[in-house]
Amino acid sequence: MASSSSSGLTFKLHPLVIVNISDHYTRIKSQSQPPPTSSAANDAVSSPPPPRVFGCVIGIQRGRTVEIFNSFELLYDVSTHSLDRAFLEKKQELYKKVFPHFYVLGWYSTGSDAQESDMQIHKALMDINESPVYLLLNPSINHAQKDLPVTIYESELHVIDGIPQLIFVRSSYTIETVEAERISVDHVAHLKPSDGGSAATQLAAHLTGIHSAIKMLNSRIRVLHHYLLAVQKGDLPCENSLLRQVSSLLRRLPTIESDKFQDDFLMEYNDTLLIAYLAMFTNCSSTMNELVDKFNTAYDRHSRRGGRAAFI
Amino acid sequence: MNLNMNSMESLVAQIQGLSGSIADVNQLHSLLKQSEDLFHSELARLAPLLTELDPSIHSLGYLYILEACTSAPISKEQANELVLSVARFINLCAAEQIRLAPDKFISVCKRFKDQVMLLEDPMRGVAPMLTALRKLQLSSEHLTTLHPDFLLLCLLGKCYKTGLSILEDDIFEVDQPRDFFLYCYYGGMICIGQKKFSKALELLHNVVTAPMSILNSIAVEAYKKYILVSLIHLGQFSISFPKYTSSVAQRNLKNFSQPYLDLVNSYGTGKISELETCVLANNEKFEFDKNLGLVKQVVSSMYKRNIQRLTQTYLTLSLQDIANTVQLHSAKEAEMHVLQMIQDGEIYATINQKDGMVRFLEDPEQYKSCEMIERIDSSIQRIMMLSRKLTDMDELLSCDPLYLAKAGRERQRFDFDDFDTVPSKFTI
Repeated sequence: MASSSSSGLTFKLHPLVIVNISDHYTRIKSQSQPPPTSSAANDAVSSPPPPRVFGCVIGIQRGRTVEIFNSFELLYDVSTHSLDRAFLEKKQELYKKVFPHFYVLGWYSTGSDAQESDMQIHKALMDINESPVYLLLNPSINHAQKDLPVTIYESELHVIDGIPQLIFVRSSYTIETVEAERISVDHVAHLKPSDGGSAATQLAAHLTGIHSAIKMLNSRIRVLHHYLLAVQKGDLPCENSLLRQVSSLLRRLPTIESDKFQDDFLMEYNDTLLIAYLAMFTNCSSTMNELVDKFNTAYDRHSRRGGRAAFI
Repeated sequence: MNLNMNSMESLVAQIQGLSGSIADVNQLHSLLKQSEDLFHSELARLAPLLTELDPSIHSLGYLYILEACTSAPISKEQANELVLSVARFINLCAAEQIRLAPDKFISVCKRFKDQVMLLEDPMRGVAPMLTALRKLQLSSEHLTTLHPDFLLLCLLGKCYKTGLSILEDDIFEVDQPRDFFLYCYYGGMICIGQKKFSKALELLHNVVTAPMSILNSIAVEAYKKYILVSLIHLGQFSISFPKYTSSVAQRNLKNFSQPYLDLVNSYGTGKISELETCVLANNEKFEFDKNLGLVKQVVSSMYKRNIQRLTQTYLTLSLQDIANTVQLHSAKEAEMHVLQMIQDGEIYATINQKDGMVRFLEDPEQYKSCEMIERIDSSIQRIMMLSRKLTDMDELLSCDPLYLAKAGRERQRFDFDDFDTVPSKFTI
């Protein structure tokens, strides 16, 4: 069902669509949380299967390029196994007014793999768009996976066992961003679950990022070092092009041994220390000021009476 | 008589027996307190008893007997012996034992100091006093009554460096306010003697701004020196007091130091001639306060101040021009002054002797070295500790009933959120 497509269409996906779908899914999932079970004996409660959400994707098709800009949600009618048609048309009209160039390009859903029942929905949409796309978002979080869990399927007519059938075939896509989308994606990426606004955690996050980047750089260079040692010993054949690449990489690495680096580094370090010192000074002075005020109120016989704090 | 003799001997035996563990020593202490009058009545026989006791082990007993010995009037011949024996005791005694009877120890040391001054050899007393001080102190931040006596001996014996070692410690606990005043005053004088004017300024500032309910003469004298040191070190003096000065000091100190304030005014004009006329006018008063040496230093600091002002205007200047601007007599004198200032690190310049030109340079410190990092790091550590101490003190003071009573009186009658009356008195 998932061989690669041969239609030759190039797909461009905007991040807004991905964010929309994931937001839809998260909302539905959090709203349908079952109440926590109280029985202690019944520990092995399997969580209910995650709900599937459905919606429509819209965009522009120019020649062989299909660019998916936006999406909106649709209600799935379980009894008829189809999407709510009236709502879809109404939404389509509304969007047409704002974005006259956008067409309904297809639909989306969540899940780990495309299913047989999806073909029905797909066929139903075929009267709006003769070749709709099916966008599938896999909501399960897999840390090992490096790519986005989004797949785009097209439908093709294949002959299987003598019967021509429509099956889903996978297509490749690229991500296309507008400036506004890039900013918001960056913002979403840096959100932390707990108080993300505090300066201390932001600094810590920033430094952790730098630390992990340097760690990765270190490990990669160690691999290269290993390789070079092996070449020197003669275990591995010597490849000149690889050596040239390694040497150019090494020239790009900053050298930390020069005097100028020491000077600049020490100067910046001293500046940071001085700022910290200044901050502590200010802190101390303010504590001292309060202490002196209290002392004067308590013990100095002739200190200023009155001085009531004004109500704001 | 016999009875007393026996009881003395039994007492000595008990001292020897009960100087082992801490519980024993406490018991001995209470015993000794009870037998105090016995000591005072048997003064003549006390001296041979001392030979039976070992000061390092039986410190408490030895201390009691020694104190009784020294409380009697001492003749000049005995003074020398006494000084030697007390010095020996101080060097050998055990610190924990004498801390049980601090006032006895302090009175012994004070008598010791009196004898040393009587013998007109204060230097003999410096080292034992230092040891005594260190043994009596509970921590290095504790100011004992012996501190000012020690500093006085250092001043009289001109051993300023030893005094400086004590002054390096920060003080956080004080036994008696009078000790504090004297300590800071003597300490300021020692620092002036060693030309460490910034530390002297700090110490004298402490005397002037310390809390006091009535004016004391130490503060008055300190204020005069404070004005002079401030002129020498900072080149200016502000007449307003910081807000933590006691109101007593704020109102009265200026009345006693009128000639000094005149000096401040004439210093402010920047002209040597005016300054010198002012000095001549008040010469007797300065001499009476024994501040004449300091006043002379103020005059010479005026030249330095003027030369420093020149560095801000000129990049190079000839020695003759310097002499003319600063009102020195010759270029040679100007060269001497500039050379001295370069050596002291007060300005950065190079003198070209061929054409008599002085080029003023920038501060060569680049703040790029590791030593600078260590300096800043240690300063940060110090200020962190200080900050912690300050917050603790602040919290302690917030719970002080005296403060709460006064603060409660000043609050508004009605609370903002609900119209209940705010309690205006805190009854504890």
